[in-house]
Amino acid sequence: MEEWLYIQTEVYPALLKGFWVSLQLILPSALCGIVIGIMVGVLRVYGSRPVTAAANAFVAVFRGIPLVVQLFIWYFGLPYIGIYLSPFIAAVLGFSLCSGAYHSEYIRGALLSIKRGQMLAAQSLGFTKVQMIFSIILPQAIRRALPGCGNEIIYLIKYSSLAYMITCIELTGEGKILASNSFKYTEIFLMIGACYLVMTSVAALFLGRLEERLRLPGFEHQRI
Amino acid sequence: MAAPILRIENISKRYGKKDVLKGASLEVNKGDLKILIGPSGAGKSTLLQCINFLVKPDEGRVWLDEQEVHYAHKRDLYAYRQKVGMIFQDFNLFDHLNALENVRIGMVKVKGMAKAEANDRAVMELERVGLGDHMQKYPAQLSGGQKQRVSIARALAMDPKVMLLDEPTSALDPELIGEVHAVIRDLGNNGMTMIMATHQIGFASSLASEIVFMEDGRILERGTPDKIFNHAENTRTREFCSKITELYGER
Amino acid sequence: MPESLIAIGDALPYLLRGSLVTLIVVVGAMGLGLVLGVPLAVGQVYGHPALRRAIAVYVWFFRGIPLLVLLFLFYFGLCTALDINLSAFAVAIIVLGLISSAYQSQIFRGAILSLPEGQFKAARALGMSDLKAISVIILPQALRLSVPGWSNEYSILLKDSAVTYALGVAEIMARAHFVATRTYQQLPLYFAAGVIFLILTWVGTKGLRLLEEKVRIPGYYTH
Repeated sequence: MEEWLYIQTEVYPALLKGFWVSLQLILPSALCGIVIGIMVGVLRVYGSRPVTAAANAFVAVFRGIPLVVQLFIWYFGLPYIGIYLSPFIAAVLGFSLCSGAYHSEYIRGALLSIKRGQMLAAQSLGFTKVQMIFSIILPQAIRRALPGCGNEIIYLIKYSSLAYMITCIELTGEGKILASNSFKYTEIFLMIGACYLVMTSVAALFLGRLEERLRLPGFEHQRI
Repeated sequence: MAAPILRIENISKRYGKKDVLKGASLEVNKGDLKILIGPSGAGKSTLLQCINFLVKPDEGRVWLDEQEVHYAHKRDLYAYRQKVGMIFQDFNLFDHLNALENVRIGMVKVKGMAKAEANDRAVMELERVGLGDHMQKYPAQLSGGQKQRVSIARALAMDPKVMLLDEPTSALDPELIGEVHAVIRDLGNNGMTMIMATHQIGFASSLASEIVFMEDGRILERGTPDKIFNHAENTRTREFCSKITELYGER
Repeated sequence: MPESLIAIGDALPYLLRGSLVTLIVVVGAMGLGLVLGVPLAVGQVYGHPALRRAIAVYVWFFRGIPLLVLLFLFYFGLCTALDINLSAFAVAIIVLGLISSAYQSQIFRGAILSLPEGQFKAARALGMSDLKAISVIILPQALRLSVPGWSNEYSILLKDSAVTYALGVAEIMARAHFVATRTYQQLPLYFAAGVIFLILTWVGTKGLRLLEEKVRIPGYYTH
């Protein structure tokens, strides 16, 4: 009975608050990440030499350095040069850039997999380069990139827990606080684990549906 | 004598060490149907792709209606490409769009037409090539012959002055070739200026105003079908034509 | 500016010893992931439907919960609940290994499924038992095909190892933070940590690419 009361009055509201913060972290980061991913991916495939080199360097750095290190740099490191970001902003910034770098890999792969003939046909009709990229290539590429990008979003949901390490208290952070106070680590973290499982499963389901919706007859088979 | 609608002069293209095109020149009058023939690797495809600058020639100049086209002036280049339609061997329909949308997209995005107007025109073009019943189908759901006809409708919707056809039936199963040939013949009868590279000699000779024989990147001989097939001046031309007659049996 | 370089210089040996810890964690986790992942994959492809479902749940569990949560769950939760006394270092390897096994099992499963059906049929026709066919014919091919995916797993594990800092494992990130808070040279030190990770990633990926070359079957490309 005491347990139940504890859950009602302390655990539930705290986890709810944490969950809400997690959502606030995940949604903007996912959106920014995809936008950055598309921009960087397009630049890496269609940009001029220096642009491509810069974009590739960006991706190499943000995929090569652990997310934890990146978060620490934004939150603990920037003050060194006088920039003070809130834990939340630092977290969203870190997630967006890191996620964006990964998304760009999938977008780039998808862009490169589009048959060259599509470009030739667009050019022969008089499309400008920009029109070609946005009207012909990207609509096809995004469908090809969807599984990879969808996967990346699921990773983001999980990695949002790292915000705790730069003092942004989201679901995991709330759990740690609760558990430290009550010593009920196993129960609380099992609950938190369950929350994340629900989040990732719902996201996976949604993404699967999206893939179905966007499917085009005969398009899934990658023709080289 | 009206000025030629399309003129190309001295087009050359090198890939690495190989000279794929060596100074090809051509004059095309309105309503002409010029057929490029020759062995594989002769440069027919490359020449066609140089005409609309899908491949950038190393040397040479191109005039449409007496206006020179400069590759570097992008806006002029795009405008020029609208006036020169191209049909590819591999069709190259946009995979994410159905037939109607494929024909429509050029009008909407490149010519800036209103969607409704473009739609009506697209329907008209598809019916013209005999595909009125297949407008909602996606490329993956169409046969090769149907795909090629959609690509012709797509090119025609741009109101081109000249059509370039790069071996339009080479990727088709034999029984599907006829339907595409019928559409091309129809275009020719309606006065469309066309340059076509093909191996289909029988079809070519019945339609062509001039046959152009290419080998090794050069135009070796040109003339009426009768001249090329029966009284060719160049030995290479005669050799090629006799081999072709053996292969295809018809002339 | 010079003080940041001095700070990095001073801390470097300390940080590099941390990279040893990191590498041991990574290699340990990859190894555990491999040892568990292969049987899991085989079970999922060739096993009884109930087994396949159980493995699917295992994979879903370890791929759906964040690393940090699992680390806390195991270290603070299960260890005290089951009264096991494990070091943070050991827990890190175990948890990372379990998660990796879930991902690696899918890599191997994909590789096994990509092999033509005829391989297994031919083995059976020669009189091999299923187990023999799997270990002698299927796995050698599937494992070779998995090397690129494995290479990816390496770089993911390398980066995830930094999270174990939350348990107090003395790897690169923990050490960088330790020095940073004492010298106030946060940015330079975290940059240095980042660079070390980049180098470790680069070296490891290159090494695995050499491995891929070495084990490649001549002429065998599923293109």
